[in-house]
Amino acid sequence: MIRLAAAADATSRAKLLSRMELVRAKLSFSLLLTACIVLASGPAPAADKVHVEFWTMSLKPKFTPYFRTLVTRYETAHPNVELEWVDVPWDALQTKLTAAIVAGSAPALAQLNVPWAYDYALHGALRSIDDLLGEDRANYTEGAIADLTFKGKIYGFPHYNSVNVMAYNKALFRQAGITQIPVTRDEQLAVAKQIRARTGQYGFSPALGKIAGLFLEEGLPLIENGKAMFNSPAHVAFITKLADAYKAGGLLKDKLFSEDNYPASIDAYKSGRMAMLEAPPSALTRVRDDAKDIYAVTDVAPVPIGGPGIAAGGWLFHFAMPKGAAENVAREAAQFAKFLTNAENQLEFAKLAGAFPTAKKAVADPHFQNLRTDAGAYEKAMAIGAKRMDVVRTLYVAGVPGFERLNKRLQDAVEAAIIGRKDVKTALDEAVAFWNSKLGP
Amino acid sequence: MSTRATDVAAAADRNGRFRSTFRNRASRARSRQARLPWLFLAPALLLLGLFTFWPVLWGGYLAFTEYNFLTPPRWVGLANFEDLLDDPVFFISLKNSLLYLLIVPAIQLGAIVLAVLVNNALPGIKLFRAAFYVPVVTSVSVVGIMWGWMYNEQGLINAVLQWLHVINDPIGWLSDDRLALFSLMLVTLWRGLGWYMVLYLAALQAIPSDLEEAAVLDGASRWQRFWQITIPMIMPTILLCTVLSTLAAMKVLEEVLIMTKGGPVSSTYTGLYYAYDQGIRAFNFPRALAASLVVSVFCLAIAWLNFRFLRPRHR
Amino acid sequence: MALGNGSNARVIEGGLRARANAAPEHRTPSAKRRSMAPRHRLRIALHYAVLLLIGLVCVFPFLWTLSVALGTEGNVFAFPSSLIPHAVSLANFIEVFRVIDLGRYFWNSIWITFWTVVWTILVCALAAYPLARYRFRGRKLVFAVILATLMLPTEVNFLVNFITTTQLRLVNTHLGVILPTVAGAIGIFMMKTAFEEIPQDLLDAARVDGASELHIFFRIMLPLALPQIGALTILTTVTTWNNFLWPSVVLTKSDLMPLAVGILELSGTFGSSTRVIAAGAVLTIAPALIVFFFTQRFFMRGMEGAIK
Repeated sequence: MIRLAAAADATSRAKLLSRMELVRAKLSFSLLLTACIVLASGPAPAADKVHVEFWTMSLKPKFTPYFRTLVTRYETAHPNVELEWVDVPWDALQTKLTAAIVAGSAPALAQLNVPWAYDYALHGALRSIDDLLGEDRANYTEGAIADLTFKGKIYGFPHYNSVNVMAYNKALFRQAGITQIPVTRDEQLAVAKQIRARTGQYGFSPALGKIAGLFLEEGLPLIENGKAMFNSPAHVAFITKLADAYKAGGLLKDKLFSEDNYPASIDAYKSGRMAMLEAPPSALTRVRDDAKDIYAVTDVAPVPIGGPGIAAGGWLFHFAMPKGAAENVAREAAQFAKFLTNAENQLEFAKLAGAFPTAKKAVADPHFQNLRTDAGAYEKAMAIGAKRMDVVRTLYVAGVPGFERLNKRLQDAVEAAIIGRKDVKTALDEAVAFWNSKLGP
Repeated sequence: MSTRATDVAAAADRNGRFRSTFRNRASRARSRQARLPWLFLAPALLLLGLFTFWPVLWGGYLAFTEYNFLTPPRWVGLANFEDLLDDPVFFISLKNSLLYLLIVPAIQLGAIVLAVLVNNALPGIKLFRAAFYVPVVTSVSVVGIMWGWMYNEQGLINAVLQWLHVINDPIGWLSDDRLALFSLMLVTLWRGLGWYMVLYLAALQAIPSDLEEAAVLDGASRWQRFWQITIPMIMPTILLCTVLSTLAAMKVLEEVLIMTKGGPVSSTYTGLYYAYDQGIRAFNFPRALAASLVVSVFCLAIAWLNFRFLRPRHR
Repeated sequence: MALGNGSNARVIEGGLRARANAAPEHRTPSAKRRSMAPRHRLRIALHYAVLLLIGLVCVFPFLWTLSVALGTEGNVFAFPSSLIPHAVSLANFIEVFRVIDLGRYFWNSIWITFWTVVWTILVCALAAYPLARYRFRGRKLVFAVILATLMLPTEVNFLVNFITTTQLRLVNTHLGVILPTVAGAIGIFMMKTAFEEIPQDLLDAARVDGASELHIFFRIMLPLALPQIGALTILTTVTTWNNFLWPSVVLTKSDLMPLAVGILELSGTFGSSTRVIAAGAVLTIAPALIVFFFTQRFFMRGMEGAIK
């Protein structure tokens, strides 16, 4: 009896104690939970300001002062906006941005290149900015706007771009008896053969490792209505011409089919083994610094224009707007984006980066257009490049799943065709069949 | 299991009056007791399930899909594996991972030797033990940065070697594609010696001293004692460490990421670094997972081989 | 998936218990019994020489980095002058705080490490308690499952964990960094070992007294397991402080990054200012090293709990 009472007493005491423990445990648990929530959220933004976060691609540390100044200037002029600049290494940007979009913490603006932007837009991750851009659309070059227009809507504020020019060795031209600068791809190939025949040097080194881009430059699409059609007569003719030039020895053999034949081309041109160099103007600084004699006889012309009047070598960077931002944030972000990409700021950036702006006024600036009388090839290249900004386009194959694998087949086929191991039509037919088998109905 | 509930229930039975109430309470208490261990285990099991088991399952599935985070995964069968077969860098990475296994005997031997060297009571021995362990408690990013300086063409290693007239021209430890992988292997070795040394030290100290003394009395030489007593007695540790070391060698990733990013000319790609590269840098997670699946299979195979050949026979 | 047959496991266990019972110094071949013959003295000198050489190999990068961080003059790659710092000052250390937000990285490291330790101990101890002192249906299964995680190829998990963390909206947050690392087989086993040392009668007495399991856990088990909790704390602290891969994958914004990740940003950012980077490196590893030097025995011993 006593034992039972004692047990009951102990029970209730223990129950009380254990309940206290429970309460204490629950309290500390909820404390930990709160800490969790605090940890999960980032630093809290200022209460009444609009927080605009923008991402750039590998621009630190070179452009740190540039952006810091820009941010301060804008924040002073717009006290209701709080800017946050996040610079992400370019090779991780696609992953981190996609993760942020999925996690609902995407930045208001993100610097992207065109293929990535196309992919994001395709999957509905970007917000179209036609309404936010409004009339300021006219401030940008046509080519840039065209690059960023997918299915009739614009998806980014154009920033900087690049373009190819054609540098050529006047001495070799004279030696080969060439009097007219080639203006089309056909003429260029003919010139290449002539150079080889008369001087024994190579003509030029087309980026055959990126044959898809070359097709597009010529206005020859790879896919139509979801089916591969790069074995059409026009395509076959183009590859045949390249094969002929190759057979005649007009094309530089070094790394002709590697994905990046850029260094090899510059080297060949620098050492006088090649007559024409298609590259962005920055390549000419290498010639200027390493091969003064060649530089002295170098002149610059616009790159031969392909079929649809497109200049090659464009690689546009822009600021896109991921979906999901609140309306007021989006509006402020658009304002900032326009500021970021206005003529003065673009010009300054272009000067720092050695790239080309996409704001019409910046392109027309004397910096590009007024040449000193003693301007060397590089300066001429910049001027010519600037003039081309309206027609330069970023060329890539859009929206093909598993593109890498398909492209490899195409490359192998073209390489076999050009070096003469296979008949051109046969090689292209086989590649088309492979593509269509993978692309499905 | 003696619990308060059954005690009370027993007491109730003896006293009749409280029987009904107590029995209900008892059964409720009993079911609460049955649930309790699971409540305790819940957080750990949940986290383990989510972050350790789920990745194996989901990753295994995603390796056969196309997935870009924004749209649901799309089944593509063996396509990712075909891509791997088409990629020469993948084969380089596998080859390098297998090459990396070369450090296993080196690191195990070194660690055993170190353990033997510090398994005594010489004054200051604790300081040495600590010194050997310092690389283990240093963050791999700082290790990478420091060794990057050591391996620099003008860095300390070349300077010492040139001063000793061992070499005339500086060696490109990280810039020569024939050497870079081995340079990284040296760093991994340097990092791991102390860790295994501690394990071997514990094993050595577990050897009963009378065994050793009996052998001394029997006239066995140091060498004989080492091979016939020491090594057999620590065989289980050797097996364990070899397996761990082998798996670690196959999974090398951070050194590559920090010091060479796979270069020069893709010569330092390892299996897991290839997976990292495909995932985080090329944003092709399914292909990364396919590659890591292949690496995992290799790991399992090698661990199995280790067990087969090093398993101590019953004495 | 036993590691070796039973007899070997017992040898290790026996050895470990013996080690725990006896002071380590007294079981080596009795060097003290021999006389200090000259040949013997030579052998000891040689022994020290070898130890010194290997020790040097192990620490030379640290010494060089420290010297470079402390010095403010001279070419960092000059040999051998860079080994001895000239014009010693703390200027580089101050500079590194100015040039990058090292203070922020430091604070992030402390914050992440602190919460990781707290959660790890809580979760592992909670899980270890039933495994150690409860007989319930499925116990063996749970045990096997936890053991299995040691066998899994977990290094590749960071890829899917990145996806999971993204979908849980934890990407680029500190919680996302901490959560996946909290539950680990090693921690659970360490706590289990600790709890198994606590005599069952203590628990039974408490239960008879009417204490709830939670009460027993917080008021009896945890306090009595304090030494092992200490060991787990120290190990987790150092591991988390040094952790690089997962934080670098999960975090995007540099103002959330811990030291281990931030220091790499520094070295990418200012490639030429080696001295400042060196100072940053010293500051990054110093806390872990300090903790290590004061708690060496936990490291020298801590791993063995895991082997068992």
